[in-house]
Amino acid sequence: MVNELRELLRYRYLLAQLVVRDIKVRYKNSFLGFLWSLANPLLQVATMTVVIKYVMRLDIPNYSAYLLVGYLPWMFFQMALLDSSQVVLAHRDLLRKVYFPREVLPASVVVANLIHYVLALVVFFAYLLFYRFFMHGAPLQWTVLWLPVLMAMQTALIIGLAFYISCLNVFYEDVKYLLTVLLNVFFYLTPVMYPAELVAEKLNSPLLYKLYLLLPMNALVDAYRKTLLPPITGLTIRDTPIHSQPLDFGTMALAMGICVLVAITGYAFFNARKWVFAERV
Amino acid sequence: MTNCAIELQGINKSFALLREKHMSLKSAVLSLRRRKPEQVPGLCDINLSIAKGETVAVVGKNGSGKSTLLRIIARVYRPTSGTVVTNGRMSTMLALAAGFHPELTGRENIYFNGAIMGLSSADIADKIDSIIEFSELDEFVDTPVKTYSDGMLMRLGFSIAVETDPDILLIDEVLAVGDAGFQDKCYNRIEAFQRQGRTILFVTHDLEAAAKVASRSIWINSGKVAADGITAQVIQQYLNSLRQRGSEEKEKI
Repeated sequence: MVNELRELLRYRYLLAQLVVRDIKVRYKNSFLGFLWSLANPLLQVATMTVVIKYVMRLDIPNYSAYLLVGYLPWMFFQMALLDSSQVVLAHRDLLRKVYFPREVLPASVVVANLIHYVLALVVFFAYLLFYRFFMHGAPLQWTVLWLPVLMAMQTALIIGLAFYISCLNVFYEDVKYLLTVLLNVFFYLTPVMYPAELVAEKLNSPLLYKLYLLLPMNALVDAYRKTLLPPITGLTIRDTPIHSQPLDFGTMALAMGICVLVAITGYAFFNARKWVFAERV
Repeated sequence: MTNCAIELQGINKSFALLREKHMSLKSAVLSLRRRKPEQVPGLCDINLSIAKGETVAVVGKNGSGKSTLLRIIARVYRPTSGTVVTNGRMSTMLALAAGFHPELTGRENIYFNGAIMGLSSADIADKIDSIIEFSELDEFVDTPVKTYSDGMLMRLGFSIAVETDPDILLIDEVLAVGDAGFQDKCYNRIEAFQRQGRTILFVTHDLEAAAKVASRSIWINSGKVAADGITAQVIQQYLNSLRQRGSEEKEKI
């Protein structure tokens, strides 16, 4: 694996070119292009806020911020995995004619989506600051400093899964359909629209709740919310009082271990099969 | 051996015969007993050694395994068994527009192709003027590659392949699409390459070109080396076999 990584390093210019090409195509070289890519998550969050506040009548103060802080990392997860399911087939001509380390393909879609995520986070922080100074919102907390760690964990998780998915989709073309279905299911299982504490109250078992948080995206979305925003207090959802829980560092360390494990096994899985791609696509 | 540019030892390559049924998850689950897909042989026990500075033509019928051989040397395919050793930087031209992105301009594609060869933008910036000059694309270099003709693609591809100073050049019958003028220019460039002691391996159906450029030729037939030696003799053997087959076909009719 060390040799593979060294070869990948030698081809960093190709990785950079692929990322730039991806971003150029998505943003069409214009600032409006970037706004368009933000419009989708913002509209989605606005819709969900309206539904929760006025249709379901749950009054959660500043709900849209709590939703956005979970929805943006979820979008990063979802878009990167969906892109990775297509990336090998999309480069079939290149693959069949030229040598290059195959892992630059999934790596490039993960890096490109990471860049979109960072840009979206910039907008999120602008929103928080606006809220702080014009609507008397809460100040930023020092736990914001955990953000790079969380992003590194999430990127490791995503790149590992992207290796599995991009590779499997070469051999079984229905992997991408299965992935779409699974992502839909997991969107509701992940504490994006609701706080993780709601799951804790409903499960009513610390052990089961621990297991729930061992799915790395659950732990990550929960951690993003708790480090970037102040805890929600005195919240009651449908007669269930929500007791906000502090971030548990033991759980986070375990989640980090899982993310790294997924990245390493994913890379090994991909490397064992990557030289057959040219014959199969 | 250090004066060896390309060395192949005991290369075998077989391909999985892909049918529709191997391509879905459902079929993978249903056929858990794991009958492996049928294997078809591509290359069979190839041993080759090409010295630095040699120019070698590879001839043979369609489907005989010439391109597979080139792809194995170019590391696009991994052999089923055997070893490949190459010495020096390799530049490959295995297809028209292989590394080109249709939406990007010629100039952007030069950078992209350079990156595929492991070159940095700074390396390419040094060479881009001579690449554009050799390709004779002039103002078309700033238009998207999707608007190019086959001849223009070939000119751009060949220019990138030769102007990036490779030690080994692999070409798969793509020169035929250029016009006579550019073909002459290519062969002149190839001769200059030979004088500089670089190694060239090319697949061609143009036996005249093979005779003109290559001192040594290899005839591949059904995945095996049928003849390897002085170009004139190898071509003669190859033509004889083609004639023989031709007369057999006539008898059938």
